[in-house]
Amino acid sequence: MEQENKIIKTSFPVKASMFVTGLGQLLQKQWIKGSLYLSCFIVYVFYLIAVGARDIKGFFTLGTVKGDAWLGIEGDDSIMMLLKGLLAFAITAIFIALHISNINDAKRANISLENGEHLPKFTKACATFMDKKFYIIALAIPVVGVLIFNVLPIIFMILISFTNYGGDIVPPELVDWIGFDNFGKILTLSSIKNTFFKILGWNFVWATLSTFINYFGGLGLALLLNKKCVKGKTFWRSFPILAYAVPGFITLLGFKFMFSYGGPINHYITMNGGAAIGFLDIDAGNMARIIGLMVNAWISVPTSMLLATGILSNMNNDLYDAASIDGATKWKQFIKITLPFVIFSTTPVLITSFVGNFNNFGIFYFLRGGLYNEGYFLASDTDLLINWLYNLSIDNNYYGIGAAISLIIFIITSIFSLLTYVRSNAYKKEDTYR
Amino acid sequence: MKKKRFFNGNRIDSIITHIILIIVCIIFAFPVLWLILSSFSKSGSIYDIDGFFPKSYSFSSYIKLFSDTSMYDYPNWLANTLYVAVFSSLIGTILVILTAYTISRFEFKSRKILMKTTLILSMFPSFMGMTAVYLIMVNFGLINQLWSLILIYAAGAPMGYLVQKGYFDTISNTIYEAARVDGATNFTIFTKVTLPMAKPIIVYTALTQFAWPWSDFILPNMLLKNKDLWTVAVGLTHLDETQFTRFAAGSVFIAVPIVILYFALSRFLVAGVSDGAVKG
Repeated sequence: MEQENKIIKTSFPVKASMFVTGLGQLLQKQWIKGSLYLSCFIVYVFYLIAVGARDIKGFFTLGTVKGDAWLGIEGDDSIMMLLKGLLAFAITAIFIALHISNINDAKRANISLENGEHLPKFTKACATFMDKKFYIIALAIPVVGVLIFNVLPIIFMILISFTNYGGDIVPPELVDWIGFDNFGKILTLSSIKNTFFKILGWNFVWATLSTFINYFGGLGLALLLNKKCVKGKTFWRSFPILAYAVPGFITLLGFKFMFSYGGPINHYITMNGGAAIGFLDIDAGNMARIIGLMVNAWISVPTSMLLATGILSNMNNDLYDAASIDGATKWKQFIKITLPFVIFSTTPVLITSFVGNFNNFGIFYFLRGGLYNEGYFLASDTDLLINWLYNLSIDNNYYGIGAAISLIIFIITSIFSLLTYVRSNAYKKEDTYR
Repeated sequence: MKKKRFFNGNRIDSIITHIILIIVCIIFAFPVLWLILSSFSKSGSIYDIDGFFPKSYSFSSYIKLFSDTSMYDYPNWLANTLYVAVFSSLIGTILVILTAYTISRFEFKSRKILMKTTLILSMFPSFMGMTAVYLIMVNFGLINQLWSLILIYAAGAPMGYLVQKGYFDTISNTIYEAARVDGATNFTIFTKVTLPMAKPIIVYTALTQFAWPWSDFILPNMLLKNKDLWTVAVGLTHLDETQFTRFAAGSVFIAVPIVILYFALSRFLVAGVSDGAVKG
């Protein structure tokens, strides 16, 4: 019933605004506002005629004319067309939002007029808008920034994974949409498939092991420092914090030098009559993997130690007293009281750190970057998916397959991230602190 | 008798604990100490340092770092790093504070959607979009520009607004309402009421926004191909074993401010939090 009334009541200026942005405002004698809306409309129409329509079409064709330097033909640049197409969609979306706001504005003005009120002057309206809608102005730049530098790349990457971009097919060659072929290649083409599953397996082993080591390493260290017999806790704690504070790339390069042939470890081995060991050589195999785990522990244990210290300080000591009276041993107390409490309160962190380790780019990039093992397609036996992705797309221009792999990583990590999201109470209870 | 055994057990426990602690601290200190000692070594190559301790000590690596710049222009790297870090920190801090304050203070329709979107976006590792950023930058001819790095760092900063929002959440609404009654617009409230109260969190934000570009490697390595645009992180990775002490000296030089920052920050954070509690 109310709906019907609205339609009947829709007055002529509002209808005019529905067809031409700003017309309603002009009819209601809001000259400045109306002409601003109208000029947006005109600019958009001109944009659409001049380049917009072509760009949107280009998004679907990705170019039809192949460039040829010999014949002097300036061909289509598929990737630019893809990006321009995205831009055209974004501009269209902004225009639609503007158009809707124009209709709403016309409606509001119409109602005011019918009630016999005067419409505010444009400058006044501007000031009210600035104040009432302060949040829009404040958030505009951050949101646009995040859209351009965080959302656009993700959309772009998803789109690229459905094209044959990369390898020999880079502009001036024409890129095409190929649907799910890249994913098909990863799962069927023998060389890529083997590499993919080998790396995926190692990636899971790595993430599980390193999360486990870092977590319990940090917890153990925190428990050790929490003991009553330890004096000067700040002193002891400053060593892990030092490790935590040194920039990651310095630590990793330092470790690379340490395990190199000229490094101190090999020096002491040769001094005692042993042969120098290529800890991180191409044929190092599991040794390199173990070194990677240890180096990662060196970097990450301090973080989890700090976390565990914070959690342990929130624990209720009465439980231990009661357990002692009941005759529980230290070990029993740890298993039955400490561990459940700590694990319960750190599950989200555990998942986040699993995801972080799953995508730990730095460790093997610095320790063993640029090595390609036999039996692997452009990867080494320590590389994680994220390293392989880097090798493929940045070093070897396999953009399409690289993007498909990053989408697969995306899916795997998002499953774990969703788990965190569901479990994180901090987010749900965000307003209770007020 | 029984009491004495109990005492002994505690004693042994304490000794074992301390032995483990010493081992752990050696493990953590060893690589750092080794780098610092190497940076004071007289010879430049890693092969001339026999083991843990250099044969002879001098400041030559540090002097070479700043004077012998024909191959490895460390002062220039440092200037680039400083430029990128300072401006990203400046712009990033403004954006983060604005975002955090607005989301904390105002109730609006898209607020929940915005928060959920950033939460989900931030869960994806930042490296995922990086290759796409690279491709986009290449296509628009924006690689080899220091300011494109600044843009990326600053634009990504508002994603981590939660700490700052938590701070603003502790400021009670009554202050704002009082200002509102006095006829202040939202803009004046922000500049005259909020900003002065937010000093500790602004400092914290600026420091963290500074530390990230200061020690980041992946992004500059991807986007800066020209040698004279390298940041310290990119430059240091190009030093091989024969330039090891130069690497060590360069690392120590760039790590020291960051390490001091971290130790200072841990104390500062506590102060900031208790400050907020008093005001709330």
